Amino acid sequence: MTALPPSAWYPVALAADIDPGTANGTRLFDREIVVWRDSASVPHVWEDRCPHRGMRLSLGFVRGDHLACLYHGWQYDADGQCRLIPAHPQMSPPDTIRVPPLASVERLGMLWAHTGVESSGGPPLEERPVRPVRSIAVDCPPEAALSRLGYFSGPTGDDGGSGDWTVAAPAPSLVVVGSGDHAILIGIQPLSTRQCVLHAVIAGPGGDGLRISHWLEEFRLAVEAEAVQ
Amino acid sequence: MSIVLYDNELDDGCYKVRLMLAALHLEHTRVPVGTGPLTPQLRRLNPRGTLPILADNDLILHGGEAIAAFLARRYDPLDRWFPADDPVLFGQTMIWLSFGAEALRSASVARRQAMFEVEAPSARIIAAARTSFRVMEDHMTARRLTGGRWFVGERPTVADIVLFPAFALSGDAGIEHDAYPALRHWARRFRTIPGFRTMPGIPDYY
Repeated sequence: MTALPPSAWYPVALAADIDPGTANGTRLFDREIVVWRDSASVPHVWEDRCPHRGMRLSLGFVRGDHLACLYHGWQYDADGQCRLIPAHPQMSPPDTIRVPPLASVERLGMLWAHTGVESSGGPPLEERPVRPVRSIAVDCPPEAALSRLGYFSGPTGDDGGSGDWTVAAPAPSLVVVGSGDHAILIGIQPLSTRQCVLHAVIAGPGGDGLRISHWLEEFRLAVEAEAVQ
Repeated sequence: MSIVLYDNELDDGCYKVRLMLAALHLEHTRVPVGTGPLTPQLRRLNPRGTLPILADNDLILHGGEAIAAFLARRYDPLDRWFPADDPVLFGQTMIWLSFGAEALRSASVARRQAMFEVEAPSARIIAAARTSFRVMEDHMTARRLTGGRWFVGERPTVADIVLFPAFALSGDAGIEHDAYPALRHWARRFRTIPGFRTMPGIPDYY
């Protein structure tokens, strides 16, 4: 098993799971991040810490294109710059009060963030329209999930009966399980060295979301049992 | 009509009843009870020595699921909150009522230990709570993929009422919501139920 690169694009949520005006906390390699959409639906991925008292911003709330901390209401604009301190409403907050943003992009029906300082390119492109299946948290090392997907048989009955599944890994954190008229795209989010989340979408006209969801539950059962051994 | 709830503001079981009373817009009196062992008087009302306890005139009931189910049956003339006349919906609702009382007990115990006891909850009880939330997550994922929005049927029921507190309060025991996107959506929807109210540990803002 090759280790995942520490500096790369990783999925952090299914695009459909982050509604406009909401924030959600998650992790990449144990680093706490907040994924949120402003009211214009633009996604943002930041460090999940209010510079004021270290409160998790994911517990806060979105106001327009600002994210506000639950603790004292400090508000940050789309670039992470502090714009309002309610206790001192007349004051213009200094530039130094800023939440570090991660490079982020919406692609393949997922939200992606780059874990490095310098980001380049992006996750692979997909020409076919995609639709979301689900995200599923798995208690196993992300590398174990990646390698196990390479030889886990595709969902029975979802291949038009052919039994032919191809598996490809076009990026370090993306596995494509394809058959006939559709492919299951699975982005792997490393929460830590021991836990990951698989974000699954269907590309192409075929594929049964419910069947694929149950298939992912079977995969979780298999790979977790191996991780315990 | 006189409904009295013996209530502890921080208790997740009492919160189930407060949510049900609010959803049914029922007038009631709340008698605050402190954290810790019940007084002998209250123990006479519930020999198990636990909250919540509800008095509806001369009738005494205990247990969040039993009380919520009773209130839905007695005070919802349209039988929407507990669709007991339809055997299928009844059976499905019963699954989640017993789940709320049994499987989610681990989440309740973990939270109580994290809040009130010196020793942190054991890894075993946390794992049991996460397993229960995973069952709920897989169910609501399947519901979403087939057009469902609530645990049972087409509208919120007593099943949603008794499951909400443990999930919404899981952060008190250190269980974050990031592994449960389908439950996050459901919890946000739950907050739009007319009469919805929060409790300590559940933010007013969202």
